[in-house]
Amino acid sequence: MRGRPLLYTTYRADQALMNTGSKKIILGAFLLVVVLIPLGILPGISFLSQSDWLRLLSTVCIYGIGALGLNILTGLAGQVSLGHSFFMGVGAYTAAWLGAAPGPLAGLGLPMWIWLPAAGVVAALVGVAVGPTAVRVRGLYLAFVTLGLVFVGIYVFRNWAWLSGGSQSGREFPPFQLRLWKEEVPLIDFTSDGSWFGIQLSGEAKTFYFVLALLIVFVVLAKNLQRTRVGRAFQSIRDRDVAAEIVGVDEFGYKLLAFGISSFYAGVAGALLASFVGRTIPERWDLFLAVIFIAIVLIGGAGVVTGTLLGSVFVIILPRVVEDFTSWLATFVQDGSGPLAWLGDLFISTGQGDWGLVNTQAGVAPGLSVAQFNQVLYGLLIIGFLIFEPLGLYGIWLRIRNYWKGWPFTY
Amino acid sequence: MRIKSRWLAILLTLGLVLAACSPSGDEGTETTEGSTATTEGSTETTEAMTSTTGGAMDIATDVGVDLEAGTITIGLLSDLTGPFSATVQPIVTGHEIYWDNVNANGGIHGMQVVLDTVDTGYVVDTHVQKYEELKDQVVAFGHSTGSPHTMAINDQLQTDGILALPLTWYSGWSDDAINANLIHHGVPYCLEAMNVLGYLVDQMGDAASTIAIASMAGDYGLDSYAGAKQAAETLGLNIVYEGEGAIDIADEATLTQVAGDIVGSGADLVWVTTTPTAFSSIFGQALAQGFTATWSGAGPTYNPAFIAPDSPIKDAIAAQTYWSAYYGLWDMDTPGVEEAKQLILDSGRFDAPTSYPIEGFVEGTIMRAALEKAYENGDMTQAGVLAAAKSLESVDLNGLGPDEAYVGSNNEQVQRYSAAIWKPDPEALASGASSGEQVLETNYSNAITQAYEFDSACYQFGS
Repeated sequence: MRGRPLLYTTYRADQALMNTGSKKIILGAFLLVVVLIPLGILPGISFLSQSDWLRLLSTVCIYGIGALGLNILTGLAGQVSLGHSFFMGVGAYTAAWLGAAPGPLAGLGLPMWIWLPAAGVVAALVGVAVGPTAVRVRGLYLAFVTLGLVFVGIYVFRNWAWLSGGSQSGREFPPFQLRLWKEEVPLIDFTSDGSWFGIQLSGEAKTFYFVLALLIVFVVLAKNLQRTRVGRAFQSIRDRDVAAEIVGVDEFGYKLLAFGISSFYAGVAGALLASFVGRTIPERWDLFLAVIFIAIVLIGGAGVVTGTLLGSVFVIILPRVVEDFTSWLATFVQDGSGPLAWLGDLFISTGQGDWGLVNTQAGVAPGLSVAQFNQVLYGLLIIGFLIFEPLGLYGIWLRIRNYWKGWPFTY
Repeated sequence: MRIKSRWLAILLTLGLVLAACSPSGDEGTETTEGSTATTEGSTETTEAMTSTTGGAMDIATDVGVDLEAGTITIGLLSDLTGPFSATVQPIVTGHEIYWDNVNANGGIHGMQVVLDTVDTGYVVDTHVQKYEELKDQVVAFGHSTGSPHTMAINDQLQTDGILALPLTWYSGWSDDAINANLIHHGVPYCLEAMNVLGYLVDQMGDAASTIAIASMAGDYGLDSYAGAKQAAETLGLNIVYEGEGAIDIADEATLTQVAGDIVGSGADLVWVTTTPTAFSSIFGQALAQGFTATWSGAGPTYNPAFIAPDSPIKDAIAAQTYWSAYYGLWDMDTPGVEEAKQLILDSGRFDAPTSYPIEGFVEGTIMRAALEKAYENGDMTQAGVLAAAKSLESVDLNGLGPDEAYVGSNNEQVQRYSAAIWKPDPEALASGASSGEQVLETNYSNAITQAYEFDSACYQFGS
């Protein structure tokens, strides 16, 4: 029986996290690659070990955690939420209050093993507290209720200067340093250069390992949630809430739970993001941030953990790729001839009077700046994926996988 | 449908693969090699011939200075697409014109200065990320846009030992509790308020006895507010309205509220520090209620659009407002400004006269002084340029702005001179030969500002 695809003889095997052998191998290999990235020894992608790329990858992990939370609420339980950034803000300021060094602003100087989980718990409690108003409505109305949260949140954060540092100035957040209690020298410092097990690592590399480990924990939690009674209840509510209630699913309770779990993820992600950047203004937790998370979930593939991760990589790395691509094309345009130079000249504008879609000098050359072009691209991608590929990047991956599964007898 | 969408999928995937691999891959490997090379180079001293001076000289370098290629790379963290892009874009252009001229005239001892400008969009996260991208390529940062943004990279600057020049006029940049790796330029917001209010009371005499003060939140609004309040107390003005942080630029209702409170206070003098859009709203509403007073505010509150030919408030703005400048104005005739104007006109990159690019010249001049000094010291590493800048006893700006100094106590370093006190002139602007800024005083300071004991920042950032 071994080795036959899609043949499971036990329920356990059918429900396993990795139900095929190739999945185990691919995942193992992928994890190995990811872990080796900061060492810069991988041929072809050694550039990823530069500090700026490691920062981008850490950003991917943090956004990934936040997006997993939204995926549970929107993808799994079917509740559209525009309020994700509000819960991130709650988590961030909880972390600041508990973890930041005592001073004129709120700060108790507690260690990370307290402030990081607490950020999630407080955000979850707030999620459950505002949940009852939100779970009474659905669809577009729910979107509006959660949208309101973002604006209420920004208002509170801006005016509660003792906590947030005030509008447009912001405050510092506790760094990634693990202490047992309030001792001077941290047990593990994830932010400064140093050696681990005899290997010299930069602060960026350590930060990356830290958030990567957290991401893996949250992925396993999310994956497991899907396979439990709770996960199935979420999906039944998503697919038809009335039918779910008829078969005995406590709609109100499970919707509340979905809000709570999603907010927990958001709170942790918010604390991580604020701590990672180091200083954040209250206006950071705005609608645009929430839209980025929706873009991640939609582009990646709603309801699928793998899709959410693909979406995070795509959405966070895309701006950098576009930027590098543009400057790469610009070198060809400057060097002169060839088809690439011709194409590049059509695509980019390098100075006054040189027309092109994207410019290399914002404000001087006509055309969109790289940042503006990115925003247009996000919009087009969301529209494109919703119309042509509702399953997102994950759907594309599924299709490729299924094509090669039967190759060369694919029909 | 089935075939169509499958093709689309393949096409998209191919596109993604192409986009992901080729550009970043090539460039990435290149830079890795480059950065390892420079790290190695950082410990040893590279010997080089200097072409213009003719003699051989030992210059230490690490990042951003390439003696063989003869280039010096300076980073600019600029807001090119965010809320201040309309101001920062021409400043960046001013930088480019300034360095083009320096390079055309022999550069820094034969070395050409190259600018690496990145767009931060005025977002703190992006600012930090872009800093990380540039720090292994540039010798120093020619400007860093935004106060919270600069504060966010401040720790990292200190760890990496790199110099940056903040493109804001927060008083904390002159405070040694913060500025180990930063150098200020221009009069800070709080001393600016003292300069302008002192000037206005001087001019108005007994006609000025009450003042209304309002600001937005953040270092910009609150630093300026602190200075205005200090000045009002010193001048013996009766403060009839205190709107500290009362303006929320995202909330129109607060603008109406503040306008109403200012009108209700019946003040002779009004000091408002906010964005141009918010100011024009408050000013316009007060005007509509028949309120007249002498208005002023921090420099960035003003925008030339106030007195554009089609502006409904242009006459009232011209009659009732006074402003000050951190750096030289187009309508000034100091040697530095005259030279800058000529270069700006020759470049053909501006359609109409504007003062913004002169700020680029100011930043460039200060950075040039730091680079020259570092060259003299024989140390053009990142740390060397930082040390050189911090040892500058005087930077002669030749009238582009007030001269700067970066040694001594906070009180000795802080800039007390406004480049100019001026009033808007719509007719001059309409003529096309002027930026519409009628200069009343140049290089202005007064007794209040001179007597002010500057020990630490007027407004403290939350930490």
